[in-house]
Amino acid sequence: MLRASIDYQGKQGDLRVVTEGSKGADSGVTHSDELVAFAEAALGSDEAVLASSRDALREVAGSEALVDAAGVVGNFQRMVRIADGAGISLDAPVALLSADFREELGLAEFSTASRISEPGALGQAFGGIARAAVATGLRIFGRRARAKR
Amino acid sequence: MTAFSSWSGPDAIRPDLVAQYQRVWAHIASPGTWLTGAERVGVAEETRRARGCDLCSRRKAALSPFSIDGHHDHASVLPEALVDAIHRITTDAARLTERWYQGLLEAGLSAEAYVEGLGVAVQVISIDEFHHALGLPVEPLPEAGPGEPSRRRPSGATQIEDAWVPVIPADKLDPEDEGLYGNMPGGRAAGVVRALSLVPEEVRSWQALSGAQYLSMEAMARMETERALDRAQIELVAGRVSALNECFY
Repeated sequence: MLRASIDYQGKQGDLRVVTEGSKGADSGVTHSDELVAFAEAALGSDEAVLASSRDALREVAGSEALVDAAGVVGNFQRMVRIADGAGISLDAPVALLSADFREELGLAEFSTASRISEPGALGQAFGGIARAAVATGLRIFGRRARAKR
Repeated sequence: MTAFSSWSGPDAIRPDLVAQYQRVWAHIASPGTWLTGAERVGVAEETRRARGCDLCSRRKAALSPFSIDGHHDHASVLPEALVDAIHRITTDAARLTERWYQGLLEAGLSAEAYVEGLGVAVQVISIDEFHHALGLPVEPLPEAGPGEPSRRRPSGATQIEDAWVPVIPADKLDPEDEGLYGNMPGGRAAGVVRALSLVPEEVRSWQALSGAQYLSMEAMARMETERALDRAQIELVAGRVSALNECFY
C-alpha cells in the first residue's frame, strides 16, 4: 500500500526505507525521517530515544499527526500478530503484484517468509505487467484528484 | 472512573480512538464465544506479564525459541497451553510455527479458544503499544464481568491450506455473519481479515478498532484520508512497523 499511495501522489520513492529504516533510502514521503524514526523508537526499548522522536515528529508535523502515527504503530503491532498467530499465507494476488519489490527489499530473509507461495516465472512476468498497469492507473487517478482540489 | 478518561500529556487523543478503546475494554471484560470474562481478562494480563517473563526473554535471545524449556511467569486462571500461546504471541510472534500450534491442540487447547485468546491479546497489545508510543501509562485492565461464553461455532468454518487455524471461506458465512469481510469485490477477503473468523466477534472488534487506529475497510479503498497524516505517511509507518516485526504482509 505504501508503493500504491506514493504512486497515487505522483511521487518517486525508494521503498528500501521500509527495511533499512531511517538511515536508508529516500521514501519521497513528507516527514519520512521523523515518521520512520518514531516507528523504530516505538518498537525499541530506549525511552529517551522514543521521547525525542516524539518531539521531533510533533515539531514538524504537529500533535494530531503524532497521535495518528501512534495509532498506526498500535494497529500494526496487532495486525502482524494476527497474521503470525493464525499462520496465514500471503494472498496470491498480493504475492503476484509484490514479487518484484519483495525481492528488492529482501523480504525472503524474514523468518515468516516460508508462508509465501512465490509465483512462477510466468506469474512473475504477469505480475510485473499488472503492477505497471496498476501504477499507471493510480498516477492518473491521483493527478485527477489533485486537479479537482 | 471511566476507562481511558484521564489522559495527560501534550497530545489530545481523538474522540474516536477513546471511544474504541473504551469499547474494547468492555468487550474484553464480557464473556466471549469460548472464554469467560475472567479468562479474557486473564489473557489481557498475560500480554503484560509476558514483557517481563524470564522464559520469554531467554527464548527471544535464543537461536531457536523452541530450544529453551521452562515455565512462564504467570498467575492467571488460564491453562498452561494458552499462557504459552499468549506469551509467545506477545514477545516473539514472527517465530511461531505450525508445528508449535499443533502442539497446543495436542495439549488440549481448542482451536476456538486459541483464536479467541489471540484476538483478545492482539487488541490489548495494540492499545498498550499506542500508549507506549505516546509516553502514556497503560490503562488498568477492566474487571471481568459475569456470564457464560456463547459457544457459537460458525457452520462454515473449515481448515484451509492458507492458514493454521480454521477460517470461514467468504462464501460460507452464516447469515448472522454477513458483512464480516466487508464488501470486497467478488466476495473475496484478504487472509488477514479471515484469520480470526473462527470467532467472528473478535473479527468485528479488531476491525472497529482498526478503523480508529488505522483506516476502516471502506477508507482503505480510498487513497485520500481525513487524518492529519496522508495515506503515504500512514503506510510508511505501517510498513516500517511490519518490517521490524519481520512481517511480510
